[in-house]
Amino acid sequence: MVLWGHRTLGPLLLTLVTAGCLRDASPVVDYNYDVQPILADNCYACHGPDPESREAELSLHTEAGLYASLRDDTTRHVIVPGNPGASEFVRRITDKRPQERMPPPEAQHALTDSEIQTLTRWVAQGAEWKPHWSLIPQKLPDLPRVRQRKWVQNEIDHFILARLERDGLEPAEEADRRTLIRRLHLDLTGLPPSVEDVRAFVADSRPDAYEHLVDRILASPHFGERMAVHWLDLARYADTNGYSIDGGRHMWLWRDWVIHAFNINKPFDEFVIEQLAGDLLPDATDAQHMATGFHRNHMITHEGGTIPEENLVNYVADRVKTTGEVFLGLTFACAQCHDHKYDPITQRDYYRLFAFFNSVPERGLDGDGGVNSVPRLETLSPLATEAEIEQVKADLAMLRAETGRADSTQGNWEERERSLLNLRGQNLQLHPLQATKVTTPNSGYTGEVQPDGSVRIDEPAYFAAYNVSLLNVAEDLDAAITGLRVVFYPHDVSGALGHGDGDLPESFVVTSVHVRAGALPADQVDFHSTLGLARVTASHIHPDYAAENVLDDRRHNGWSPHPARGAPAHLTLTFDEPLDVREASYFTVMLNFGAGNRQVAKHFRVLAMEGIDDGTTLPSEVQHALVNGSGDSDLLRQVFYERAEEAAPLRHAIANLEERLRVLTEPHPTMVMAVTDVPRPTRILYRGQYDQPIDSVSPGVPSWLPPMQEDATRLDLAEWLMHPSHPLTARVTVNRFWQMLFGRGLVTTAADFGARGSLPTHPALLDWLAATFVETGFDTKALLKTMVMSATYRQSSRATPDLLTRDPQNALLARGPRFRLQAEFIRDQALAVSGLLVRRLGGPSVRPYQPTGLWKEVSHYGSTPATAQTFVQDHGEKLYRRSLYTYWKRTAPPPGMMVFDAPTREVCTVQRENTNTPLQALVLLNDPQFVEASRAFAARLLSTVPETERVVYAFEAVTGREPDREDRQRLEIRLAEEMRVFEADPARARAILSVGASSPALSADLPTHAAWTVVASLLFNLSETITRN
Amino acid sequence: MNPLLAYERTITRRTFLGQSARGIGRMGLAALLFPDLTKRSSGPHFAPKARRIIYLFQSGGPSHVDLFDYKPRQRDLHATELPNSVRGDQRVTGMTVNQASFPVVAPNWPMRRCGKHGTWISDLLPHTQTIADDICIVKSMVTEAINHDPAITFINTGSQQIGHASLGAWLSYGLGSENENLPAYVVLLSQGSGKNPGQPIFARLWGSGYLPSRHQGVLLRPGVNPVLYLKDPPGITRGQRRRMLDDLAAMNQKKAEDVGSPETLARISAYEMAYRMQTAVPDLTDFSDEPEEVFDLYGPQSRRAGSYAANCLLARRMIERGVRFVQLFHRGWDQHIALQKQLPSQCLDVDQASAALVKDLKRRGLLEETLVVWGGEFGRTIYSQGALGHPSSGRDHHGRCFSLWMAGGGIRPGFEYGLTDDYSYNVLENPVHIRDLNATLLHQLGIDHNRLTVKFRGLDHKLTGVEEAHVVRDILL
Repeated sequence: MVLWGHRTLGPLLLTLVTAGCLRDASPVVDYNYDVQPILADNCYACHGPDPESREAELSLHTEAGLYASLRDDTTRHVIVPGNPGASEFVRRITDKRPQERMPPPEAQHALTDSEIQTLTRWVAQGAEWKPHWSLIPQKLPDLPRVRQRKWVQNEIDHFILARLERDGLEPAEEADRRTLIRRLHLDLTGLPPSVEDVRAFVADSRPDAYEHLVDRILASPHFGERMAVHWLDLARYADTNGYSIDGGRHMWLWRDWVIHAFNINKPFDEFVIEQLAGDLLPDATDAQHMATGFHRNHMITHEGGTIPEENLVNYVADRVKTTGEVFLGLTFACAQCHDHKYDPITQRDYYRLFAFFNSVPERGLDGDGGVNSVPRLETLSPLATEAEIEQVKADLAMLRAETGRADSTQGNWEERERSLLNLRGQNLQLHPLQATKVTTPNSGYTGEVQPDGSVRIDEPAYFAAYNVSLLNVAEDLDAAITGLRVVFYPHDVSGALGHGDGDLPESFVVTSVHVRAGALPADQVDFHSTLGLARVTASHIHPDYAAENVLDDRRHNGWSPHPARGAPAHLTLTFDEPLDVREASYFTVMLNFGAGNRQVAKHFRVLAMEGIDDGTTLPSEVQHALVNGSGDSDLLRQVFYERAEEAAPLRHAIANLEERLRVLTEPHPTMVMAVTDVPRPTRILYRGQYDQPIDSVSPGVPSWLPPMQEDATRLDLAEWLMHPSHPLTARVTVNRFWQMLFGRGLVTTAADFGARGSLPTHPALLDWLAATFVETGFDTKALLKTMVMSATYRQSSRATPDLLTRDPQNALLARGPRFRLQAEFIRDQALAVSGLLVRRLGGPSVRPYQPTGLWKEVSHYGSTPATAQTFVQDHGEKLYRRSLYTYWKRTAPPPGMMVFDAPTREVCTVQRENTNTPLQALVLLNDPQFVEASRAFAARLLSTVPETERVVYAFEAVTGREPDREDRQRLEIRLAEEMRVFEADPARARAILSVGASSPALSADLPTHAAWTVVASLLFNLSETITRN
Repeated sequence: MNPLLAYERTITRRTFLGQSARGIGRMGLAALLFPDLTKRSSGPHFAPKARRIIYLFQSGGPSHVDLFDYKPRQRDLHATELPNSVRGDQRVTGMTVNQASFPVVAPNWPMRRCGKHGTWISDLLPHTQTIADDICIVKSMVTEAINHDPAITFINTGSQQIGHASLGAWLSYGLGSENENLPAYVVLLSQGSGKNPGQPIFARLWGSGYLPSRHQGVLLRPGVNPVLYLKDPPGITRGQRRRMLDDLAAMNQKKAEDVGSPETLARISAYEMAYRMQTAVPDLTDFSDEPEEVFDLYGPQSRRAGSYAANCLLARRMIERGVRFVQLFHRGWDQHIALQKQLPSQCLDVDQASAALVKDLKRRGLLEETLVVWGGEFGRTIYSQGALGHPSSGRDHHGRCFSLWMAGGGIRPGFEYGLTDDYSYNVLENPVHIRDLNATLLHQLGIDHNRLTVKFRGLDHKLTGVEEAHVVRDILL
């Protein structure tokens, strides 16, 4: 099979271009555009590239096969060019007898009359065969002639306009400036322009104002973030390993590398080569090693029981699949098990490509406990700048200085603590609960219930969570139950409280506690109905093992008694709300000893508490200072800043900045590619089964693609992909960029340029873009600039009913593209407009708001050393970072993103859906992130915009345009009405204004602030707000 | 009339009529909202036997050996070594691959012949025993997967590889929705008492793969927000919300007409549906209109939101409201260890409520059109994982045969199908691959599994994958 032939390319290309542009109008039938799609859809299943399913030795996918003589009668031929009557092919597709007719009825692929006509006409016209369009190297085509020259801004427009003129369509007028600037900002940075940006552009009278704007936006650091969002889907980037346990990993350095690379406009060939084979470059830098994380982003498993060899095959298979879809636009995955049915990719081709990625020194079971799987690297982020380091240091110094100053709220805190101390132990009564059962689900070891209702653990697991079912037997308990106390007893012989090894001999660590209560017994704590805990105190106070640590579900902190022997120790939990005795006949307590090293208690009992806990978390000298009043004021101030709720924002700000400083100045871990000392042999796997290897293969590429030398390495593969003459990589890349800006690709199947993929709507334009991209040295920014400078891009997206009917998908671009913003940008926009957005670049992923329990209800929480099993929300600036930094857990991705069609990132995604559902409405209306953004936006309007200008400014900030009179009146009426509602019921105003963690910044006038919050929410929910017009 | 609206009406009427002609019935808003859905759907292909499915998925691999697939001779085989001839060249998981001995463990609980046909059901499932005449137990289920992730992905999406569409998504895609206020595909989760946490589960099990993402299952959770973000923010009354949505609709409408945006019109409808969901979902999850005897039927746990029993009752309420596919995932069936202790608790979680659901549907006349499925991703080995008789011992994963039951929806009641060997280890007669199961489920809903396809990355994908699948006609009425 020869699909690849350099000598014939010139004339072919010309025909291709002409045919593509004319195919609707011309009676000339083109093989690639008219014939091959029919054959691929209807015939290839039995007469295509897969020899195993080939019937009657007939191949319709090759030139030779189409003109071959018949197996049973060598005097006759499948196709006789120019003579349909003599062509067996034509006879079989037109024969009226069912037993002769092709395709046969059971194939359920009956040809339509027009398809039969097309095929017959093609034979009559000479049955000219051509190589598949995407395998013909692109060359810079001549620009088509157009009539409306004045409309044309650059080369792109020639191709678009020529087609429109042939189809009798008019291009749309240019969009107004407000629309254009919003479109450019959203497309190229994923953030909206500010009102001031919009007004400045509207007022810019320079003839090249638009180009200035484009240049300014392309130079924005947010450009790299926007491009990274696009690249992360392709690279299946996530912060967890995926598969079933889905523990945490650290790959954000690779993400930083991507953002940086786009921002410095790294030539796209280098961008790809470094990601695929940076480790093999001569004198590779750390950054080049870091780039190779691209092919470590795939899922990794440490599920016990899985077979390492099988896992390794899965990892390499994922690299092959991703490489095929991202760079070649070919779907290799099918050929893992059998020759491809539609494209000429054989199983051998597949495993030759597989061989490039097979010699990585990785392990089949790895990556548990939050430690990256090998091979890995620790290095510095490329995004760190001296300027930011200095700024962070200065900010830190300023914040730390604040902790030395008196704070007006310290008195309130002292008063509260003093009163707590005074109330300590008031009416305290403790009633033993009777343990009835204890379970440790994933451990063979468990505890035993003692006759006295306590629990003994004689054989501890390395780590384990114990679920204890308890019967409330206290008869004299008539008041409400205020909490529980767990008392830990020393072992009767050794005197030790725990089984601990390692750093805590004879001790234990409670890493978390969960309680449920009810009128019915339960063996387990149900994460949907656990009781909230207001306070946790303990008998022992230790700075490294504070009692409050048990409120943080993660394994890395907890409470431990010190010393851990001799006398009993206890932990006391006070509920958010006292519990009615009638609701509490049964308790279930989950005690998580998750620290490892067998740091598990030996013997404990649970008691119900009436009255007020007699414990405190304040060290005795602090108690003393508070109670005496005289106190050491330095000590009290220090403790105030360390513990008071009032000082929490400052504490979070300091902690976040300290972390940021480490991110900017210290090496962090990331996964990379490397090569084994001895190459791992690659063999074809029968039916793709890891345990059924057959023939050995060497690395290589399919014969119908450009040739590659023998003994090629992964680096050779990367360079081969990016070679200027490669017919696929550049086309596939420019098509994806086009898709990003125009909502749909010139080839709508962006990951499939093969036999069953879509044909380009504008083949010559695709070639022009690809050839230009190559010629400019793969200059990504230049390419994007060319696209957005075109008149095509600048068109208004207004659609007439006639146009909607004639071209509903806007394939011909007789109007500007319009599509809903993608998930990340919807949230980013709300953050930006409200002023909450924190514009830091890069760094570890963050955990903004999400409904509680989403991870726990699906994860292995309490039963695995893996991280990311329970969600703990971040604070301060980490709630307001751009959405591409949101922690991505593959088995339970951020729900607000999923609703807006974000992928799970389990596998490479080349195109996202763009749907429109009721669940999206619920997110925009009710998700605290959006409610808080509305509140903050309202505060911003009230504090910075004069009252008479507010409605206009607010509307402009969200949509980019000025409201018309009707819009303005409607908003004013809404505002007035809401104000009346909130004035009548100020408690409601306070309630809506309390959503979110950002400091309230309450306007003095609560009803006005609340009313503006509703109006802001209305604006954020407008269809045009989440649409890029 | 506004030309854009005229355009929209034409499109809507076209899809509406197209649907009716194919016999789907009322599409209403769904058609308006999801025109491409109705355009691309291809079913039903023939008159369906069932209109809805409740899939009681038992995640982790319930022990068919202990629960259904009993042979009296196993009592004699207890403690003997599993013959190599039976084990054959089977793949074993990393858990037991290094075990020196594979001693047979007979079920430790009494088994009882139930129903007119005398099928074996364990005394661990006393309520299930009482519905033996209503269910069809398939004892010859087969899967190639031997670990949770691939196995549970396989049975739910038709492939061990990740990225394919789930059964529920296919049904939503192929058949659309039957109601205007609730999603077509709803997922409910519960934790097992025998083993908590059980094996993790993941969004992809109810994901839409290469189908439009609106077909993914919607997770309903107990508590104030059964659907995420369902509740209005604090301080906002329903009246305020209504007035704000009226303004929103008016402004969207004006803009849509101005610029010609059908998507905006669809968005107006989506907001209205969201508003209705805010009433419909709490109404669905509020059990206060259920009489006492219903809670007695489903068992005491049915009062506890989030429990398996409450989810069973919720499933019935959804079926009554026209939800197409309700899938429960009950975790904790992975008894590698301490099987003696864990299995009774797991059974207690699900037994009464599963049986109650079948009885309840039956007496309400809903069972005929509702197909109930009870089963997991694989079974468990007859041999002991860990030392024979040790309290910490259990059973490893087993895919070569396992049991599953179905009821209603045109499935033959009071029937058992398939035969395994004395060791409940290999299928002797009538194997039912999980592909066949999925083909059968689709068939009962009027869909030919070979014809419900979607083109993605150059292939015509279908739920049953590339290998051949067969509708199990022997178990159909």
